Amino acid sequence: MIYKKEANFPYPVLTNSSMSYTESEFKLDIDLEENINMYRFEIKHVITSSFLSYLLDIGKAKLILILQSKDSKFYSLENGQSYVEIPKSRISLSSRTSLQLHLQSTQEISFRDNHDLNDFYTSFKNEIIVPKHSILGFSNIVLFDGSSTNPLELFEKKLDESLKSDIKIELGSETIIIHYRNSEFQFGSMPKSHALNNTYVYMGLRAALQEFIGKYSDEGEDTVEISQINPPSNMLDFKLYQLMTKKMIKDLNLQVLDQVIYLISDRIIEKHATAVKELATNGS
Amino acid sequence: MEVKVRLLKNGYDKSDEFYEDFKENRTLNNDEYFTEETVSFPSNVPFPIYMGKGNEEQRKEQFLEAFKVLSENYISSERDIHLDEKAWHSFLVTHLREYMIEKYPIILENQKEFSNIVTKKFDWENYIYKCVLATEYVEDASSNSQEKLRYYNLIVDNLDLYNYIIKYEVFRNGDFLLKILNVVDELGISSIMKAKIKDRPELGKDERYGRRVIFELNKAYPVVMTPMLELEDLKEAVLKELGNYYDVSHIIRYL
Repeated sequence: MIYKKEANFPYPVLTNSSMSYTESEFKLDIDLEENINMYRFEIKHVITSSFLSYLLDIGKAKLILILQSKDSKFYSLENGQSYVEIPKSRISLSSRTSLQLHLQSTQEISFRDNHDLNDFYTSFKNEIIVPKHSILGFSNIVLFDGSSTNPLELFEKKLDESLKSDIKIELGSETIIIHYRNSEFQFGSMPKSHALNNTYVYMGLRAALQEFIGKYSDEGEDTVEISQINPPSNMLDFKLYQLMTKKMIKDLNLQVLDQVIYLISDRIIEKHATAVKELATNGS
Repeated sequence: MEVKVRLLKNGYDKSDEFYEDFKENRTLNNDEYFTEETVSFPSNVPFPIYMGKGNEEQRKEQFLEAFKVLSENYISSERDIHLDEKAWHSFLVTHLREYMIEKYPIILENQKEFSNIVTKKFDWENYIYKCVLATEYVEDASSNSQEKLRYYNLIVDNLDLYNYIIKYEVFRNGDFLLKILNVVDELGISSIMKAKIKDRPELGKDERYGRRVIFELNKAYPVVMTPMLELEDLKEAVLKELGNYYDVSHIIRYL
């Protein structure tokens, strides 16, 4: 699993944002090449810590490439191995694919000689013993976004006269689809029709976020900690995830649902109210 | 035999008309339903696509049949096709209509059954999805047919655990799946893993030991890098988590 948690390790871990190392950088860059049968992922990485680089050189640590698309794949890289080839029959790049490098210990490691740590650790780093198979650092995430027909669009409107209700909200794979039985319900002929539809948009967002909670909360829990989950592979969920991340939303649960909608939806209710008010004023 | 499959337009799975036309065999030549796009499927050999009914023996048999046909005919295709929902749904309605009707006549009687069997969402609850992943994983792991058969049997004998493993992205991984199956097999804990946990209402209605173990391993990641553990280390990790819910002392005694 691609890992993006910041803290929670009982020992210092090298990441691009960790404070434990004086110079903390673990950069990953991937070039993609392909032929008819294969994808080749060319791996370039930078690790700032000479302590960790040395562990890698002498085999006390190894790099693992993690690739997540429809499933997770783990590739233990040999020393100096600069690419991984994967048959196209085993990976789909038309859906979202994310990659990350992990640095993992192959045996117990003492941090006594780790001079790259910041001063905070000086007095007790000789007591830090990291067990075998532990993560010593992880890189940034490289994304291949795949094809998406509606990269930004969150909503789609559709007309379906055979609908058994006036409107119906459907969560598609990339968008929230609002089906209308009657084109009148879209207020198409009115000024500000966009804002007048905002109540439906609200309902759509509510439905989508509720499903989001169901899908991404841990078993038995009803809150999703947005910063702790992986970027969803489902496009619609990914768009919602991006919106929430941008607005720095920490938790999503039923109690804060309306608040979250308020934060991510750019004042849709206010705009709706203004549009109605304007109509009333102009109409009278 | 390789076949060209026309891809359906979005929205087919929700349309009542689409179902009516499927019943009356009017889908295939109706351009309204299809885009201009086609994909090639490497084969049109039919295989069981739904194992939701029948007794355990029958279901096992059908799983094994699906594994066999998929591994021999389909699994070499690009993943963009064989793990794509729309490609499969398009393939089913255009190339396997008669087979499906004969095998699952109920799809003609009831639209709900149709969407549950034919146009089912393509995730870990979909039988084709389960079988495609299983064959990918097993075929990649070994070239020995006896060994493959052993793995296929282990999967059908531990379906609940298999479902739970492929449900989570971190464990949806071939090496890990086969390692876990080996652990379960070598420790002889298949029936324990399947069993319901009693007297722990706080865990939920249908909690089982196997699911709980996977859940705990998931929680422990990445401090315990479960997907990458060697067999013996994984054995220990599994026993440790199982030990929180089940008295494992008699299992350990036989190790």
